[in-house]
Amino acid sequence: MRRAVYFTMAAAVILGLATSAWAAETTLEKISRTGVFTVGTRTASPPFGYINKQNEWVGFSIDLAQLVHKNIEKKLGKTIKFELKESKPDTRIPLLTSMAVDMIAGTMTDTRPRRDSVEFSLTFFVTGAQFLVKEGSPIRGIQDLAGKRVGSQQGSTNERAIRERVPQAQLVVFPDQPAGFTALVQGRVDTYTNDGIQLWGLKYKAPNPNEWKIVGDFYTYEPYGMAMRKNDSDFRAVVNNALMEALENGEYFKIYEKWFGAKSETPYPLSDNAKNFLMMQVVPK
Amino acid sequence: MPIFSFLGMQYDFQWSVLWTGGHGEWLLQGIWTTLRLSALSWIIACALGILSGALRTVPFRPLRIAASAYVEFFRNVPLLVWLFVWYFGVPQALPRAAQDWLNTHGPEFWSAVAGLSVYHGARMSEVIRAGIQSIPKTLLEASVATGLSVAQAYRLIIIPIALRLIVPPITNESLNLLKNSSLAMTIGVAELTFMTRQIETYTAKAFEALTAGTLIYLVLCLTIALTMAQVEHRFRIPGLIVRVGRAEH
Repeated sequence: MRRAVYFTMAAAVILGLATSAWAAETTLEKISRTGVFTVGTRTASPPFGYINKQNEWVGFSIDLAQLVHKNIEKKLGKTIKFELKESKPDTRIPLLTSMAVDMIAGTMTDTRPRRDSVEFSLTFFVTGAQFLVKEGSPIRGIQDLAGKRVGSQQGSTNERAIRERVPQAQLVVFPDQPAGFTALVQGRVDTYTNDGIQLWGLKYKAPNPNEWKIVGDFYTYEPYGMAMRKNDSDFRAVVNNALMEALENGEYFKIYEKWFGAKSETPYPLSDNAKNFLMMQVVPK
Repeated sequence: MPIFSFLGMQYDFQWSVLWTGGHGEWLLQGIWTTLRLSALSWIIACALGILSGALRTVPFRPLRIAASAYVEFFRNVPLLVWLFVWYFGVPQALPRAAQDWLNTHGPEFWSAVAGLSVYHGARMSEVIRAGIQSIPKTLLEASVATGLSVAQAYRLIIIPIALRLIVPPITNESLNLLKNSSLAMTIGVAELTFMTRQIETYTAKAFEALTAGTLIYLVLCLTIALTMAQVEHRFRIPGLIVRVGRAEH
């Protein structure tokens, strides 16, 4: 009996030492070993990550993630498979830390508390939170929310901002965007809040876009970044280099034009301010 | 913590996130909402269950068919689907005035109560029907032979035995109801599971938050289970049931 206990303890020690060495694998090592680069993205947030009418999983963030994928292949010198996985505001960080995905490329806002858990790339899009209401609604912005029912997504920065800044509003929190939008359509909530650009996506994808309007000044600042695991500067360099290359050689602006240009489904012209900000993130070669 | 780094995990435990920053109040609010939701649904489910369970055993065929239709319709669809139907579907069929009234009086909570109670009512109905039908007809015949009327036989003999028979499966269904209340978070009810996810998204401390949720559900369910075990013991009829070997207590 005692020998069995000692043997088990010895095995546990050896296993522990072995796994502790193995668990400290970097993202690039993992991608190289498995041959797969997994990216977590949205499935219902047009135009960043969504399923289009042809049942394809496409989006602005997905196109940018593919630029990162090309850079990873260049860096590792071999072909790597590109895989997508669904991630939502409440599951993104656990998916990253549990190594189910290598990077999150969707609509994740870069914030200081989040930087305690994950690492962010350069900002690839700038927006702010607004409100989506039915045409004819009396709500004009964050000042009109007292006593109103406000729909939002669990885990989003907007939910947190409303909870902290407008406690008189009745916050109704849904697990994802489709539930929140359906609740707005049916009148269960008076308004739905999310980042402005995502609300434009919802409006243009709705059966009758003229029924909806987006109101209110940006009540939060939402810089979108790609998220990855902490303590992984090599991988972060690869991601940032891919984005910087794309900004420098114009690839980024081609992709931007595809999703937000005048002929796209969600026109959203790039302001000079935003363009300068994006370009100034590109450090010299 | 040394033991966890030994196992290769890189995680910084911070159990204080469960009570600092207002998170303790969130958990308490979540527990209260879960208990309210479960209690209301349980009462309605028991009522529906007794009614349809009894109706399935009466000699009148149309009533039996009606009760069977209710049971089969509601228990054969996943509860999550029912919650969406009750929240997004059913209110659309109501007149506009009723919908507006509902929208300002917590539609999420009441849709969850409706969904849970009707679903579990169907399941409880089966349990009650099985309890009633497991009593042999000979017992009724024997009671009537001793001079009791049929109504008296039911009231003094059949029903008391039936109630004792169904205590374990009803406990099971009640525990299921409490645990299924966690599905209400998908339609926006801020109950306990929602609150543990909330703490997790605010602090990124998934392990602590989910452990808290697990332990609280465990305590709630064990309390119910142990209480029902006491009820079973107190109301037992010695000599009525088969027990292999002598009980240790």
